[in-house]
Amino acid sequence: MAASAARGAMALRTNIGRPVAFVRKIPWTAASSELREHFAQFGHVRKCTVPFDKETGFHKGMGWIHFSSEEELHNALQQENHVIDGVKESWFRTETEERFRRKNSQAVSLARSTPPK
Amino acid sequence: MAALLRSARWLLRATAAPYLPLSLRLLAGGPGRPHAALCLRAARARPVAGGLLSQARLHSIAAEKKNDLQEEPTSSHRRNASQFDWALMRLDNSVRRTGRIPKTLLQKVFDNTCHSGSPGGNQALLLLRSCGSLLPELKLSERTEFAHKIWDELQKLGTVYDVSHYNALLKVYLQNEHKFSPTDFLAKMEKGNVQPNRVTYQRLIAAYCNMGDIEGASTILGFMKTKDLPVTEAVFSALVTGHARSGDMENAENILTVMKEAGIEPGPDTYLALLNAYAEKGDIDHVKQTLEKVEKSDLYLMDRDLLQIILSFSKAGYPQYVPEILEKITYERRYIPDTMNLILLLVTEKLEDTALQILLACPISRESSLNDFGSFFLRHCVTVNTPPEQLRDYCKKLKEAQLHTSPLQFTLQCALVAQKFDLAKVLMKALKEEGFPIRTHYFWPLLVGHQKEKNVQGIVEVLKGMHEMGVTPDQETYVNYVFPSFDSIESVRAVLQENGCPHDDNVFSQAELRSKAVNGNLDYILSFMESNTLPFSFASLRGSLILGFRRSMNINLWSKITELLYKDGRYCQEPPGPTEAVGYFLYNLIDSMSDSEVQAKEEHLRQYFHQLKEMNVKIPENIYRGIRNLLDSYHVPELIKDVNILVEREKTDSRKTSKPSSSDLESKLEKLKAENQPIGDILKQLILMLCSEENMQKALELKAKYESDMVVGGYAALINLCCRHDNAEDALNLKREFDRLDSSAVLDTGKYVRLVKVLGKHGKLQDAINILKEMKEKDVLIKDATVLSFFHILNGAALRGETETVKQLHEAIVTLGLAKPSTTLSSPLVTLYLEKDDLPAALESTIDCYEKYKILPRIHDVLCKLIEKGETELIQKAMDFVSQEQGEMTMLYDLFFAFLQTGNYKEAKKIIETPGIRARPTRLQWFCDRCIANNQVETLEKLVELTQKLFECDRDQLYYSLLKLYKVNGDWQKADAVWNKMQEENIIPREKTLRLLAEILRNNNQDVPFDVPELWYEEEKDSPTSLPSPVEVNLQKELLNACRTRRNKDAFNIFLTAKKQNIVFDNEAYARLINLLLMKDNSTQAMQVKDFAETHIKGFTLNDAANSLLIITQVRRDYLKDALTTLKTALDLDQIPSRLAVTRLIQACALKGDTESVQDIQKLVNGLEDSIGLSRMVFINNIALAQIKNNNIDVAIESIENMLTSENQTVDPQYFGLAYLFRKVIEGQLEPALEKISIMVERLANQFAVYKPVTDLFLQLVDSGKVDDARALLQRCGAIAEQIPILLVFCIRNSQRSGKAPVMKSLLELIPELIDKEEAYSCLMKSYVFDSDVASAKALYESLTAKNVKLNDLFLKRYAVLLKNAGESVPFTEPPESFEFYAKQLKESKETHL
Repeated sequence: MAASAARGAMALRTNIGRPVAFVRKIPWTAASSELREHFAQFGHVRKCTVPFDKETGFHKGMGWIHFSSEEELHNALQQENHVIDGVKESWFRTETEERFRRKNSQAVSLARSTPPK
Repeated sequence: MAALLRSARWLLRATAAPYLPLSLRLLAGGPGRPHAALCLRAARARPVAGGLLSQARLHSIAAEKKNDLQEEPTSSHRRNASQFDWALMRLDNSVRRTGRIPKTLLQKVFDNTCHSGSPGGNQALLLLRSCGSLLPELKLSERTEFAHKIWDELQKLGTVYDVSHYNALLKVYLQNEHKFSPTDFLAKMEKGNVQPNRVTYQRLIAAYCNMGDIEGASTILGFMKTKDLPVTEAVFSALVTGHARSGDMENAENILTVMKEAGIEPGPDTYLALLNAYAEKGDIDHVKQTLEKVEKSDLYLMDRDLLQIILSFSKAGYPQYVPEILEKITYERRYIPDTMNLILLLVTEKLEDTALQILLACPISRESSLNDFGSFFLRHCVTVNTPPEQLRDYCKKLKEAQLHTSPLQFTLQCALVAQKFDLAKVLMKALKEEGFPIRTHYFWPLLVGHQKEKNVQGIVEVLKGMHEMGVTPDQETYVNYVFPSFDSIESVRAVLQENGCPHDDNVFSQAELRSKAVNGNLDYILSFMESNTLPFSFASLRGSLILGFRRSMNINLWSKITELLYKDGRYCQEPPGPTEAVGYFLYNLIDSMSDSEVQAKEEHLRQYFHQLKEMNVKIPENIYRGIRNLLDSYHVPELIKDVNILVEREKTDSRKTSKPSSSDLESKLEKLKAENQPIGDILKQLILMLCSEENMQKALELKAKYESDMVVGGYAALINLCCRHDNAEDALNLKREFDRLDSSAVLDTGKYVRLVKVLGKHGKLQDAINILKEMKEKDVLIKDATVLSFFHILNGAALRGETETVKQLHEAIVTLGLAKPSTTLSSPLVTLYLEKDDLPAALESTIDCYEKYKILPRIHDVLCKLIEKGETELIQKAMDFVSQEQGEMTMLYDLFFAFLQTGNYKEAKKIIETPGIRARPTRLQWFCDRCIANNQVETLEKLVELTQKLFECDRDQLYYSLLKLYKVNGDWQKADAVWNKMQEENIIPREKTLRLLAEILRNNNQDVPFDVPELWYEEEKDSPTSLPSPVEVNLQKELLNACRTRRNKDAFNIFLTAKKQNIVFDNEAYARLINLLLMKDNSTQAMQVKDFAETHIKGFTLNDAANSLLIITQVRRDYLKDALTTLKTALDLDQIPSRLAVTRLIQACALKGDTESVQDIQKLVNGLEDSIGLSRMVFINNIALAQIKNNNIDVAIESIENMLTSENQTVDPQYFGLAYLFRKVIEGQLEPALEKISIMVERLANQFAVYKPVTDLFLQLVDSGKVDDARALLQRCGAIAEQIPILLVFCIRNSQRSGKAPVMKSLLELIPELIDKEEAYSCLMKSYVFDSDVASAKALYESLTAKNVKLNDLFLKRYAVLLKNAGESVPFTEPPESFEFYAKQLKESKETHL
């Protein structure tokens, strides 16, 4: 039991401290460079990934923004709405909230997250 | 549920017995048994009633389903039933939400149904019913086609149709206006041996009427009459339509009268039939009249009916009348789906203009989130191939009407999805004209389409189109979407040229490079980079290179490419230069890898770094630090030293010198102090530096010395330092001082937690709890990591068996609300007893947790142990408790898992076969994950096997877990067997399962016997597969355990066992073992382990601590040459050996007179003195000592004298401490040397006014009891008596050790004026107290009182206690408070004086 608890924590620790934002509902017209451009106003974007589906040639509407500091991430999270290419996005801080919104709204969302490696 | 009870009871009573250990069997058969059964019955009395009810319900549901699916064999009916539920739910949801079903959904449900083998009648009905007006997006003929396809397919699969199916088909025909022969239909029914019913006849009449065939309708009607079937309104409505369609409006109208005569009042349906009839004729006047008539009556036409009229007008070619009807629509919210369906239907019928008209009339809120309401219309227009220009116009109108925010973009998306290039081009042009950018990725969906068909021409067309649109294909376009369609990249180039397709050579070459990189073709990359002439920036290559590196494990190529980057003029030569660029490259490379990847490739990376070192590649220190942090966070700190070798040293050193050393700071501090200037800042800086150097002793001394100038930050760092050094006493004192300094100051969370940990560990429970309270009071931020730290504190205490610590701290944490009780946090309460094998207490503790916090920590482990030990009664108790509190099912699962875990599979089987038990996915998953984490293959296999018939069990998920475990173990044979078992069990594997299976097979070079579903993102291709086997893991665990508990013999034996079996542990394990052996002074064994590790693990090296220990051990055993080699090795690895190790080695060499070795060491550690914490004086003392031992007395003395008298002194004379040398010379009775030293120090004092050496010599003489020599020296050099600070330091140091009272006494006899110093007499008293020398203490007290010296309370307290302990009376009132109090008071009073 102790071992498994410790393992859980390991995963937890890598989650914390990486200033990464998870963005949902990215309009199809925007790709990573557009996202990068938008989020540059909040801080230095170290990396921005919007994975494309090689089966369809479209992305799945989600992406990850790696900021260089927690503070910058915080700046970005502070703003209620993000509009890229005229499509409104909303940001959410926590998982629960995001799940709730996913059910109830059509808006674009963001949460802090760990990106896929 | 009663059944549940029965089986569990029966199991415990009898069946378990044969398989449980002997003792338990005896117990079960003995007199204990009836008692146990009795208990069980009593405990279950309550839940039974409820349980029975719920079981009855279960049965009735099952019975219902059975009726539907009579022909199904019972084993599969449950699965089908749940599948049916799923399909029904999907379709039902769609209909309820939108009033329609998308074709894809229906197709999917249909495919799934076919897949399941033998679809039931219900499913068939559901599918057929969906093929009519619920599919507005499909042309009428297509819908009927679909219905027929379903009909035939299901029939082939053995579905037996009844009349409901035929009727459903008829309804679909009517809705789809399908022309068919009713007589043929009846014949078909007859052939199928199905009797038509009233609904059948009604619908056949409607069919005739729709064709305007009144005669046909009449025949059926007559037939109905002979059968005495009632004629309903539906029949009359059909007849209205029939007459109208036959062109006889008059009779159509007359039907209403006929109805009334027949006693049936015409309802809305009949009027609607009439209205539609008028509409089809374009007779707006009659429509309006009829509508008015209906309005006046008590009938009511719904929006849906009005929409129907609109459809009739439109289809008949009278769109001009649509607005008049639209006006009458109320647009109730619930009819919006109907409106949408009408719009879709009109579009399907190519009546887009009318559709748009209706859409624009929709009163949709323009600001709401639904502001892209028009999307469905646009998408459908794209589907039905509405002409591009027309669509463009619609987009404009929708935007103007605010029915869509970005109609052009949306339509473009639809066009791309549908692969409509021409339409897409028009839309892109339109977008461009409106000033929107056209982006490269817009073309990707089109390329994907062609790629799937390997349509080279199509791809060329798209590329040309991009050019037309002014878009240049980028790397990604080529790599992901163009290249895959061609055999080789060369052929792409050729085809593009052939077709006159312009392309940027630079981008193309980069794409080519990337494409090779993705495939791990580093050979190509290297040769390309060598021969390349294009002006490539390194930045553009970096991504590709990183990909390639990660895909290829050829370290030589890694290094060669890196070397090329570093040295070749084409790549990284511009500012900031190759060092930076390659440094960042390494950083990015590691950053792009996941922690598990780095862990798996640790050895490769190590080789890589070493090869780079050989190639003389260097990286800047700041980037090194970044890499170090990355490696640290990936839990591979072992690699840090390997990166460290690449650091560019020259720059580092120049930076280092700019940073002041601690001794610089200290002298600065003293200077400021002497000048009476504020020293707070510099003091804090110095304390922080000492803390970072881990020099606790010095830091504490400094604090004591400058207590009044301490600030909060300094205290915080000191507290943390003491916690790190496990120094609870000082940490606590510092914390108190910290509070006194500023009671509102708050430490950070980590420091509080560390304090709690250290205090708890040293049994200072109340203090630890006080810290917790303070955390609560000061509202310290509690993070997840903090809660985890709490757990570790508690768990550590539990493993050490500290019952009170665990209980009280847990209680405090929970009641203060610092953390909520959870199965993790509270588990130490149980661990405590499990570790002690006290099972009753463990169970009690678990139950106690439930009663207090509603959690059951470690219940699984408790149960497992109980089963292992055969504790029947306790198992009983646990089960009773769980079933009472959490229900039978939970109890059964607990028991099931415990039996599985302990290998009692037969018992586990009995449990899981209990009637009424259902799958609990989360619990099953929990156990699966546990098995995977602990690599319990057999247990997991058994779980999967035993749950085969478990109701509602997600078999695919279980097999997925099993495959995950096989993947870990690289066992492809077993994975392959899983594939077959799944087919046998008729499981439809999810995509992820297939992918995982394929991955295992591929990794082991096996063919994959099925199509692998592709992933939408790139997956790791070369993830680690060579994980250690369970045996190795277990042995290693044992070894680590033995190391942790310091059982060196056991640990070494485990090592020998493993060695025999040729099992190799990881770096860490060997390092720990070696550390332990060294600590136990067992260097021979340690070396044995080291040799083995070095020969079996490439690049195995000891870490800093182990090497330091090794040095100390070697010195102790007098293997000085070996120790020197070890030191060299450690330094070569860029390790920092401990100060103790280096000092010991230096001293040992010096005592041997080995000057050379001492000087060698000095050279070796040159530049690292500060990091190690070595004072220069160590070398000066020891070199001199070595020289003296070698009889080079003059040389030694000369060099010391030179150092102290030369212009540029390296060490301030004030700190030029030679006490060590002097002591060693005195101890060694090296009289000639002592004599010469004496002459030298006197000369220094008399001629150069350097008094430190002479004072040191004097003190050493005193210390060694050579009082006469000391006195003589003092007489020759009276200035010694004036060196008060040096003398006082000597006093303070000596007063901390026992047995030093005589030394102090002699000193004070020699320099009596020293006694006037408060420090001196205080120290003297302290020494007397230490040695319990009452007589001297008395004499001291009296002489001081005689001089009227005002004695401080601490002094008096000491004296008083000494007297009391000696049983003597105290001649004054003993200060009432504690020592600490007065110590504090004294410090405070000093502070105020300053």
